Amino acid sequence: MSDNQNKTSPVLLRVEDARRRFRTPEGGEVAALAGIDLDIRANEFLTLLGPSGCGKTTLLRAIAGFEALDGGDIALDGRSLSGVPPHRRPFNTVFQSYALFPHLSVADNVGYGLDVAGVPRRERQARVAEALALVGLGELGRRRPRQLSGGQQQRVALARALVNRPRLLLLDEPLSALDRHLRQAMQIELKALQHQVGITFLVVTHDQEEALVMSDRIAVMAGGSLQQVGDPGEIYDRPANRFVAGFIGSSNLLATRVQGRSGDHLILATDNGLQLLAHHAGFSPGDRVDALLRPEQLRIEDEVQAHTASFEGTVESSVFAGPDRHLRVVTPTGERFTVLLRHDARQARPPQAPGQPVRLSYAPEAVHLMAGTGP
Amino acid sequence: MSPQRSRSLALAGLLAPGTLLLAGFFLVPLGIMAVYSLLSPGLYGGVEWEFYPFNYGRVLGAPLGDVEEFDPVYGGIFLRSLRLALVTVAVCLLLAYPAAFWVSRLPGQRKPLVLFLVTLPFFASLIIRIYAWMLVLKPTGVLTRAMEALGLSHLAPDLMFTEAAVVIGLCYVLLPFMFLPVYASVEKLDPALSQASADLGATPLQGFLRVTLPLTAPGILAGCLLVFIPALGNFIVPALLGGAKVMLVGNTIEQQFLAARNWPFGAALAMLVLATILLAMLGLALRSRRDAGEDGRA
Repeated sequence: MSDNQNKTSPVLLRVEDARRRFRTPEGGEVAALAGIDLDIRANEFLTLLGPSGCGKTTLLRAIAGFEALDGGDIALDGRSLSGVPPHRRPFNTVFQSYALFPHLSVADNVGYGLDVAGVPRRERQARVAEALALVGLGELGRRRPRQLSGGQQQRVALARALVNRPRLLLLDEPLSALDRHLRQAMQIELKALQHQVGITFLVVTHDQEEALVMSDRIAVMAGGSLQQVGDPGEIYDRPANRFVAGFIGSSNLLATRVQGRSGDHLILATDNGLQLLAHHAGFSPGDRVDALLRPEQLRIEDEVQAHTASFEGTVESSVFAGPDRHLRVVTPTGERFTVLLRHDARQARPPQAPGQPVRLSYAPEAVHLMAGTGP
Repeated sequence: MSPQRSRSLALAGLLAPGTLLLAGFFLVPLGIMAVYSLLSPGLYGGVEWEFYPFNYGRVLGAPLGDVEEFDPVYGGIFLRSLRLALVTVAVCLLLAYPAAFWVSRLPGQRKPLVLFLVTLPFFASLIIRIYAWMLVLKPTGVLTRAMEALGLSHLAPDLMFTEAAVVIGLCYVLLPFMFLPVYASVEKLDPALSQASADLGATPLQGFLRVTLPLTAPGILAGCLLVFIPALGNFIVPALLGGAKVMLVGNTIEQQFLAARNWPFGAALAMLVLATILLAMLGLALRSRRDAGEDGRA
């Protein structure tokens, strides 16, 4: 689904100023939701991304109806869901633990929602078979959940939710219990499945890579507040603040002050005196800005060229990670940078060794600036 | 010696004390009872060593066409005992099941305290605890005084020496035997399952009947059996709280052995209680084997 389609899609679910506080065991209070405003659009794949304890699961449970709000509202098609119990909301959830009924067969698990809704047996069986085929478990309907692998149980949980054709599918850390290989395969598959069934997916995850791979849009949460909502490219390239920049991908983040202009470029300097060039119109000399330079934007230069933005440093460590090599470089001013180099087996030169001096270059346009925090 | 052989020898050694104890002090006396129940009573207790088939006929006689010694009073006592045992099971279940859910949702550090409180009555003698109930239930007892103090003396029931008093006493004594197995199965229940049920559109009642009840059924069945067995055979509670008005099979057996000195008839009554309990257990065993069979077939 393209971004353009999404932007014209109508709003399915509107979360307005959602607030929820919890008592801590120490007797204090913590805001799990500190005034969340979020629109979920029809047919989009939206991910709530954030570290544990950021309130994303509370928001999901509030939408499902398992958690009441202290303030604010959640509305479906413009009608408030306040006071509507979970079993009367047209949403279905894939639980983190899957929560499959251990005493029922796989087919009875999948057919549970249809059964309690009074769908006739014949239609129920057909739809259960269809849902199981959709997730690739057509043969296993007679098994019990405990006779299945973790990946298969996850598919049963998906089929059990999708078979009811919910307006909105809620997925709570759906892939966290799977091993790495299966998780990566399921990321692609979930996205394809969402496209195929045309149901809105709202996924909660703490895994930024998962969010980047699957989502049409990502809502980044921290401390009970939304930090940024946008498509994956936007979130990665133009994070709204230091937190988003640090949470998504790996990053070189520098606290700087704008010193002046040089043509189109701003001249930035860290407190230690490292100078950087950046292309940005929104700031003026004297401003505090946070500068983000992604590790893959840094290159190692053999010869100094006057027209490129660059600085010197010494290799501190060099780690081989399959397709990439991660270099830690420290500048004479004491700033540390991570540099990501593509691994190339045909490379003639040996890789940079610790202790070796290097010159790092970057395009000033690649430096992303955010309004700085602190004095 | 092969490892398997030494393992099975070790197992036999470990099981021997328990096996010998049960064989010597349970199976042998049970065998004596079975034999005695078919002998004729001695004049001053004990038995005469001659075959006498009418001990069972005295209880079951008429339906079996054996009217020689039949007395319907014993069948009545037997049925009343069964009825009160079943009522006790039902009351205990209704009290213990919701309580088990409440306890299972308490914060972790408070659960052990509550479980300790459940077992606290075992620290005092059963007789003393039943006498305490007599002080509560008797016409001038605590219950009546409390009702009087509230100005409700006209409503104060005279419970002493009634079936209600016996059921109250049996429930009080046996409640922990219902609570503990029921709690064990409720505690294991994943709260996410009833949420999943609601999430899939089931009303709370549908969710209870289709998910919670089937998943806690093993604990419920175990608790029912653990309450039913002692309730059926109990003789202290009906003797103290039921008096002579509420004769149960337990008192009757005691009476036959001690007061009436008819050991064979007491033994026959005891064998009938045993048979009833074995039938109940057999029914439950068949049921759980059927459930297991469904699992295996899947």
